Amino acid sequence: MIISARWLSKYIDLPETFEELVQTLTFTGIEVEAIKEIPALPETVVTARILTSEKIPGTEHLQICMVDFGKGPLQVVCGAPNCHSGLITVFAQVGSKLPEMEIKKTTIHSVESEGMLCSEKELGISDNHSGIIELPPETPIGISINEIFELPDSIIELEITPNRPDLLGYIGIARDLAASLNKRLKLPSLRNYPGEEDPSIKLTLLLQEPQKCPRYTARIIDGISIKESPLWLKIALIKSGLRPINNIVDITNYVMLETGQPLHAFDYHKLLPINQENSHPAIIVRRAKAAEEFIALDGNLYHLDEEDLVIADGQRPSALAGIIGGKDTAISNQTTTIVLESANFSPSTIRKSSLRHKISTDSSYRFERHLSPAHLEKVSNRALELILKVVGGRVCNELYDTYPEPQKPLYLSVRPSRFEELIGYELDAFLIKNYLQSLGFQYILCGLWQKEPINEYELLPQAISLDLEKNDNQIFYENPQMALYFQIPPYRVDITREADIIEELARLDGFDKIPQKKIIHPIMDWHAHHIKHRIEDYFRQSGFYEMINPSFIDPIKLEYLGEDKAELEKKLIRIVNPQSSNQSSMRTTLLPQLMDNLLYNLNHSERNLKLMELGKLYWKDGNKNCETLHLTALMTGLNTLDHWKVKNEPIDIYSVKGVVEGLLDQLGITIDEMKKVQHPWLVEADNLAYFSKGNLCASFGKMRVKTAEKFNIDIITLKQDIWVLDFEINTLIELTRTYKTVFSPLPKFPAVIRDISFLINLSIPYSDIVKSIQQVEPYLIKDVNIFDEYRGKSIPDGLRSISLHIILQDYEKTLTEERVEQVIDSVIKMLENTWQIKMR
Amino acid sequence: MIDDQLKNIAEQAKIDLQECRNQNDILNIRAKYLGKKSIVNSLYSQLRNLSEEERPAFGKKVNELRNELERMIEEKEEELKLQIVNAYDSVQVYDLTLPGVYFPPGSLHPLTIIRRKMEDIFISLGFQIAEGPDIEDEYHNFDALNTPEDHPSRNLADTFYLDNGYLLRTQTSTVQVRIMESYPPPIYIISPGRCYRNDKPDPSHSPVFHQVEGLVVDKGISMADLKDTLQFFAKAMFGPEVKSRIRPHFFPFTEPSAEMDISCVSCQGKGCRICKNSGWLELAGAGMVDPNVLEMMGIDDQKYSGYAFGIGIERIAMLKYNIPDMRILYENDVRMLRQFRREII
Repeated sequence: MIISARWLSKYIDLPETFEELVQTLTFTGIEVEAIKEIPALPETVVTARILTSEKIPGTEHLQICMVDFGKGPLQVVCGAPNCHSGLITVFAQVGSKLPEMEIKKTTIHSVESEGMLCSEKELGISDNHSGIIELPPETPIGISINEIFELPDSIIELEITPNRPDLLGYIGIARDLAASLNKRLKLPSLRNYPGEEDPSIKLTLLLQEPQKCPRYTARIIDGISIKESPLWLKIALIKSGLRPINNIVDITNYVMLETGQPLHAFDYHKLLPINQENSHPAIIVRRAKAAEEFIALDGNLYHLDEEDLVIADGQRPSALAGIIGGKDTAISNQTTTIVLESANFSPSTIRKSSLRHKISTDSSYRFERHLSPAHLEKVSNRALELILKVVGGRVCNELYDTYPEPQKPLYLSVRPSRFEELIGYELDAFLIKNYLQSLGFQYILCGLWQKEPINEYELLPQAISLDLEKNDNQIFYENPQMALYFQIPPYRVDITREADIIEELARLDGFDKIPQKKIIHPIMDWHAHHIKHRIEDYFRQSGFYEMINPSFIDPIKLEYLGEDKAELEKKLIRIVNPQSSNQSSMRTTLLPQLMDNLLYNLNHSERNLKLMELGKLYWKDGNKNCETLHLTALMTGLNTLDHWKVKNEPIDIYSVKGVVEGLLDQLGITIDEMKKVQHPWLVEADNLAYFSKGNLCASFGKMRVKTAEKFNIDIITLKQDIWVLDFEINTLIELTRTYKTVFSPLPKFPAVIRDISFLINLSIPYSDIVKSIQQVEPYLIKDVNIFDEYRGKSIPDGLRSISLHIILQDYEKTLTEERVEQVIDSVIKMLENTWQIKMR
Repeated sequence: MIDDQLKNIAEQAKIDLQECRNQNDILNIRAKYLGKKSIVNSLYSQLRNLSEEERPAFGKKVNELRNELERMIEEKEEELKLQIVNAYDSVQVYDLTLPGVYFPPGSLHPLTIIRRKMEDIFISLGFQIAEGPDIEDEYHNFDALNTPEDHPSRNLADTFYLDNGYLLRTQTSTVQVRIMESYPPPIYIISPGRCYRNDKPDPSHSPVFHQVEGLVVDKGISMADLKDTLQFFAKAMFGPEVKSRIRPHFFPFTEPSAEMDISCVSCQGKGCRICKNSGWLELAGAGMVDPNVLEMMGIDDQKYSGYAFGIGIERIAMLKYNIPDMRILYENDVRMLRQFRREII
């Protein structure tokens, strides 16, 4: 539903600012989908009369016009097809700033033009650009266009939820706003029109399908003449997104927008009678006949069937009920007498026909959503009043009204105590009454709650006398079954239970009033929890067995590792009452216990072992007790791949390095420094520690024969290396805490892979080679990967052969063969110059 | 004569095509018969040696030959393609009974597996995990938990004391104290972790063991909530058929205190060795948080109430996996651990 703020303000005093209006709509539950502000136009845009118009020779449309705008006249060139002398239109003087242009003095086809005659689009009112604006002849000349177009204005597009058909009209929206803002709803006053009894202008009305059409009213108005609508009416429709057609159709549309109830007008004289005996024009609400043909207002021929409901005259369908009118009975310029239909149709009938024939109209959209039949006569009267005012004419006869089964009244009760249970705070009973009354609910009495709806006044429970204004809410909590009874307004077809009423109250009082009841503090460190799981699962998946050892350790074993005794003394926490001396202090490392686990399992014929423990280390730092999470792992033997075809390889330094780097990669930790570890239990050469932002993250190394010996493992006889891996879990948790995955758009152009092989001095590290290659063309070289390293027979001493994949990618365009060659050539040249490589 | 010549060419092409084994052979044949310097092209070049009258008939015949050759070559090409496709679709050289390649995973320790399962169960009920230090002071381990100065659990025979005046927590309830110190209710937490008691290792004791403690403090919390929670836990861990009961007990920090039993997972309550013929297995200690504890934490015990429980992870692991001796869990024998590699957590 598209509404204009100016129009809306006819029914309610709007909030001071537009922002407030949008805010109120949103929190009342009417979603604002789009906002378009139409700014005021400059005062230099005024009404004007075209005095003369004359075609410019040699052009198709261009005309020279003399324009009178109260001053002048001025000469203006106009290209609009509807430009003619005598027309009153809109004139933008030189210097006017319009939404999309500024008017300047120009020369067109050597004719000077001092201003512009404007279309609706040029003024920013609508998208219509078919011609210049045509104003009624009585419009005064030289007045500001803002007055005529009610500018500035704001156009608001609202999303009306399907449960609220009553909001498909200005009055419904205003009613909700009034309730929410505690303001008065201003409704147009209506009077009754009895009509003159006129036996010559009568209608035969037959309602044959009361299930599909619960109520049908018709009104005959005679002596009208079809014309264009007055400007205010046209402007109103345009702002709400409808095209003006003629005065009668525009009024039915205006009233539909105002009330939400679609109306239709037939040309009385085109409605055929049933037969000669019954010679008055007829309206029969009936099912269509099988394969009955119907030409609609849109000019299309529809083949109807018995599921369709039609408004027929004595012979043929004159409308597809509630969806679209017929061509034969439509209002035309010759129409003098109309039948004004205000009717109600069942939603399912309309929905099915609309779907079947693929016609959706403003009318069918509303009927599908279930309108109430209760106030049809009022809507009819409203349209009648406008017709009499705008078009003139004469009302013939009483309102024809067929309403076989009038909608029964609906009474529902709502318990204040239930509001508190459902919404979470107390709402005073008198406020409940006020809110609901402003929505059009009628307060009946206070009594004991009843779940079932009541349809007859007599069946209401006995009233308990109570002064709601006294604001004593306590009684409703002392007896939680105490309830307020209301009669539900018929247009609120969505309100059928207590819960529906409570929803109304909650939304009108404002969801921001709902208190925060339980503040659940975030205690858990989810990140640490997930990282620990990720690490545990990584090791499990990599073939490791998890060990769990007690927190106690024999201090002598720390000496076995070669740790400095004095240093140990400073950090060791001893137990006053240990169960034995070999459990007399808290562990400061996991390694000794893992060595014991290794020995135990080697002794049980397990040769290929990957063991790990993730646990706490304990030490003191002066008076402070420290506990940190640490992971130590041991690897020895073969990398067992359960395969009869592939030989199991011994665990070597690269498979150990792979375990360390694999985890760091999975956690997304960027290593910026690698250096040797100084642990007395590790062989000096084959070890490495990984740092990120200065923090030690992980390290690995090969255990010394002597250290293993202390733990009763003889590496020489075992003929297996023992690898020790260490991970600072607390550091890993902290370094990953801010890790964020952000999607980056996928490359549109394919990557190119080139391989190069060369001989290079053994002393040059791989990482340096990669770094130097990437620097050659950092934008294009996306990755460099090694796929072979070879040293031996055919390779000269002191050299090794390295084979690399170089992956090139350009995010902007497809890489040409020449460009790729060029990059690879510079890479090779750089390698030759820097490292003296020899290409193979 | 011309007819014979053309016929011979067609015959020869047929023979050549029969020899074709692959796409490359086909290409050669095509070049030989239809290419630039092919037999057919040389026939066309003979045209200009013929008289005006002879040309149309000869041209027509060569065209026919060319079309015929084209057709034969295409036919052979199709045939070869079909052969390749058929061969691809029907290869059966593998012995599918030989095992596939598989990198065998290791296993997490059953105590980790059970801890994670317990965490998941309680997280599903809205609990958060809170952790705290193993090394504690007397205040958090005893005083704040309403344990009198002279309570026997404070003895050296029960509690490990450290040389710097601290002690090793005897239950993870210490974390509850730390959380209540820092956060106002509502509190719904579990704290899994290591506990220490000076018990000699035996089939059902270990000086170092693991616990999951739970604590709830909120408005309107009753013992019925505690019972519901423990029952939910028991069924989630041991299956929907498990029965549970709570019976009165004593803990300094709860009032009333209770212990929770479940029907024996081994004999379903009929009585066996594991349940010592009682039909019931003790699973948890629990109770309503003692008003003194709440008061000490500055929580209004008239406004709030709460419950707490403690469940031994070793105990659950032993019952769930039928492990007869707690010490097995600390041997770290990979043959034992390997049995848990398929546990889902």
